[in-house]
Amino acid sequence: MKPNMCVDFAGLKLKNPVMPASGCFGFGREYANFYDLSKLGAIVVKATTSQPRKGNPTPRVTEVRGGMLNSIGLANPGVDRVIADELPWLQQFDIPVIVNVAGETIEEYCTVVDRICQSGLAHAIELNVSCPNVQQGGLSFGVDPKVLGELLEAVRRVCTLPLIVKLSPNVTDIVEIAKAAEDAGADGLSLINTLIGMKIDINRRRPVLARGSGGLSGPAIKPVAIHMVYQVAKAVKIPILGIGGINTAEDVIEFVMAGAAAVEVGTANFTNPFACPEIIADLEKYMSKRGIKNLEEIRGCAL
Amino acid sequence: MKVKISDKKELASGIWQMDVSGDFPYTEVQPGQFVHIQVGDGHDHVLRRPISIAEVNPEQSRLTIVFRIVGEGTEWLAQQSVGNVLDVIGPLGNGFKSVKNARSLIVGGGIGIPPLYELAKRLKVEGNKVDIFLGFRRGDEVFWKERFAKFGNVQLYTEDGALGTKGFVTSGIEARLIENPKLWDYVYACGPRGMLKAVQELIMDLPVGGGVSLEERMACGVGACYGCTCETTAEESKRICVDGPVFDWREVKL
Repeated sequence: MKPNMCVDFAGLKLKNPVMPASGCFGFGREYANFYDLSKLGAIVVKATTSQPRKGNPTPRVTEVRGGMLNSIGLANPGVDRVIADELPWLQQFDIPVIVNVAGETIEEYCTVVDRICQSGLAHAIELNVSCPNVQQGGLSFGVDPKVLGELLEAVRRVCTLPLIVKLSPNVTDIVEIAKAAEDAGADGLSLINTLIGMKIDINRRRPVLARGSGGLSGPAIKPVAIHMVYQVAKAVKIPILGIGGINTAEDVIEFVMAGAAAVEVGTANFTNPFACPEIIADLEKYMSKRGIKNLEEIRGCAL
Repeated sequence: MKVKISDKKELASGIWQMDVSGDFPYTEVQPGQFVHIQVGDGHDHVLRRPISIAEVNPEQSRLTIVFRIVGEGTEWLAQQSVGNVLDVIGPLGNGFKSVKNARSLIVGGGIGIPPLYELAKRLKVEGNKVDIFLGFRRGDEVFWKERFAKFGNVQLYTEDGALGTKGFVTSGIEARLIENPKLWDYVYACGPRGMLKAVQELIMDLPVGGGVSLEERMACGVGACYGCTCETTAEESKRICVDGPVFDWREVKL
């Protein structure tokens, strides 16, 4: 029996629960050379800011055991060009487009969210309050429930699309932040963003990354992500997008059992450009074999 | 795609040559492009390793790569046996554009030398007169001097003076340019950033074409992650993996 792979997430109809994570997939063009993006559950594009950003000095990526560090620094062409060049191109694929939005001030977040919503070219907003690689904004909005509440209250007024808030693991209590987001009107949560880390080149006696620290991603962070999804799923009613080191269909199942309704795949795209469609195909096989009719059946079963 | 290792040998201290064969779009390869190779068993290493293509032989379905062991990934690669299968993506990036019937200079430093080999071969075939300046840190790191000599006049430099002329390639190039600033129509280079910057300064005001190949730590290798960017003379930064690795001399800030 063929399982039903469809998932309803915060009002978005997804044909399956797997989408590439922001920052790991550009605006989709590069991976469209490898496969038809219509196979995806959705696409989450690179963080978009009001002005173009070059990002941090290089080196800004390096591998560590079981993962990688990045300090890209929200490099993107700015909201004008995203709306003019990138989002129209994505309309050819039959999938929801989720735009990740970052900013340095409440005003910047609101401006970008408003522009994206007005464009009519996106289906949801993922608010990035968890980037560890920028001086201003980014993570600072995601570590204090009161500050996050103020940001969301302002963004909610201009946001006409489902609003997903992407949370940072670099906090004392992620449950408190998640509840604050829910109380301030978030329609969904995505977690986790990267964990702050560092690698030192012992020959040069200096950090490998030009900026010093970076965000850790990849299989190494999966247990942290599973635990945080599990904790948050127990505390909130809004749906969760699970993120962190997903490489296989079994990893997706694990996140769903921890309470996620759908998932984002990040670093695995770098290891294998076909990671997302392979995981989707394997997930369907896994569900068929185990007689799981749909993911709702097992969502949060481990809680 | 999967390719099989058909030959491997250590060319010099820590520098390995590997020939691979199998299903690969050999005829599409431009000199200076690279392949992105998966290393390890798929658990510890999440990033592929970008390795430049040194030579392509479509008739024999063979690709030659040369790399230096710089960490765990390249160490793993060097330990693979003939007959083992590698998972590669490629050819990736923009390569060198070969020209016809011109006077060209090729400048290579250390492990930056291999991606210039296919270029030297094609320049020779296309009737160019080619001068080749190769620089190494130490005499025991020298490789492929004879192979390059088939395609042009090779000048060898080592920093320790063990082989060739002691010092940097740029001193020799500068001397030749002082004699005749119009000596070369095209200049092609790959190697350490300091060497490339010195060459760029020497030729910046001269009417020469050609290109410079850059290296950076990469993640995706296909342009999606913005990990390997470089500064350009325009406002925007460019991605070395897809906009490069070969750039026009006047396009990038070194």
